[in-house]
Amino acid sequence: MIKTHRLSKAFNGRSVVRDLSFEAPDGAITGLLGANGAGKTTTLRMICGVLPPDSGVVSTDRHRLGALLDHMGIYARLTTRENLEYFGRLRGMPEGLLEERTDWVLSVLGLKAIANRRTAGFSQGERMKTALARALLHSPQNLVLDEPTNGLDVPTIRSLRDLLRRLRDAGTCIVFSSHVLDEVRALCDKVVVISEGSVTAQGTPQDLCSQTSTHSLEEAFVSLTCQ
Amino acid sequence: MKKTILVIARKEIVDGLRDARAVMASLVYALMGPVVVGLVSLSVHSGKVTAAMMAVFTLVSAFVGGMSVAMDTIAGERERHCLLPLLLNPVDRRSVAIGKWLAVSFFAVAGLAVNVSGCLAVVTLTGMRTTSPDLGMVLSAAFALSALGLLAAAVQLVISTLTNAVKEAQTYLSLVVFLPMGVGMFLIFSPAANGPWSVLLPMAGQLLQVQALMNGTPFQWLAAFVSGVLTVGVAILMLMVAADRLEHHEIHYWS
Repeated sequence: MIKTHRLSKAFNGRSVVRDLSFEAPDGAITGLLGANGAGKTTTLRMICGVLPPDSGVVSTDRHRLGALLDHMGIYARLTTRENLEYFGRLRGMPEGLLEERTDWVLSVLGLKAIANRRTAGFSQGERMKTALARALLHSPQNLVLDEPTNGLDVPTIRSLRDLLRRLRDAGTCIVFSSHVLDEVRALCDKVVVISEGSVTAQGTPQDLCSQTSTHSLEEAFVSLTCQ
Repeated sequence: MKKTILVIARKEIVDGLRDARAVMASLVYALMGPVVVGLVSLSVHSGKVTAAMMAVFTLVSAFVGGMSVAMDTIAGERERHCLLPLLLNPVDRRSVAIGKWLAVSFFAVAGLAVNVSGCLAVVTLTGMRTTSPDLGMVLSAAFALSALGLLAAAVQLVISTLTNAVKEAQTYLSLVVFLPMGVGMFLIFSPAANGPWSVLLPMAGQLLQVQALMNGTPFQWLAAFVSGVLTVGVAILMLMVAADRLEHHEIHYWS
């Protein structure tokens, strides 16, 4: 579970996140929906522990957290497998388990054919999949994904959605940020709408439509963020 | 913590060795000193002058050997957005700093080893030194010079943590190379500054020890040891500054 309570963050006096509270339960995909600059990435960085909040609390088990934030950051001179093994070892995974999990994520994300190739020259989609594999490698209970479908082709997006649904069904808590409404509608059990650093509404996509008396998530989003 | 440090150091060394252009540049520099001094020795018949030149090249090679890896390992990773995923792991920031420092030190010491081997070959081939250095002298110089490699790596790592991109890091790290060059030139052209205390100071001490090694003049064992220990001490202080920089969230927020 991931829970934030009254998170706030300012940079150089400019408030980016304000009193932001939400709860992402286990076994559910929670979508953070917001326009560019709404504070989604800053919130996710605070959840992951790389950015300390000015005030407020994040409750989660960070040792069991996997994350794919806004940049992929894979090592170009290492192969896909070496990239994964490096991060697995940093997490203290035993060698046998690391090998087993590496093979599993490579297979699930369709990376086997390029497992032993250096990642320099990879396409955007291949790099994204490698970064996703890194986030999933240690079987995290909590998964934080910042716009994970960026740059992926349609078959890969579909297989990623299937994978996320399977992880959710297995009890994983998934927090997923996006500004692509179709993506959110297709995947998320719960949506948290963020505007100018604050939560303006949260609930199921149907709840948001009811709250705003609209018929689509897009209309609900516009109604909630453009007031 | 020890295992994490070694995992990070190993990855950085593998990564650095695969950067063929950087390895080649470091190797060429490490060998440039002996080659230049060898050529100069054909016309200048003063062993002391050529030994002094060689010592300056050796000092500089400590700063050039690991320069590419130093700029790549923090500033480069920031630029390529690799630092954030690394810091997302439940890894102590000090371990990250020490692991990267060991990797940069590996390249700095390797550069020094290539340079000193080349210098010894030149002094032997040109007849500047007719006797072989004894084992104690070699070990003592190896200790003092390795300490210099550790110091150079720590200084470069601090600079790398203060910069946002490889090009920016390169600008400052290229300027840092003038530091050992300046110390060397100062001691060569200002003999008055060359007092008994000079041999204890980081960089100055190593310079004088390399000169003695090449000239075959008497070697101050204790001074070499003290100089090495002082140099390692300064390196550790610099490393602490680098580790502290990694704690600042700005280092990954803009990466």
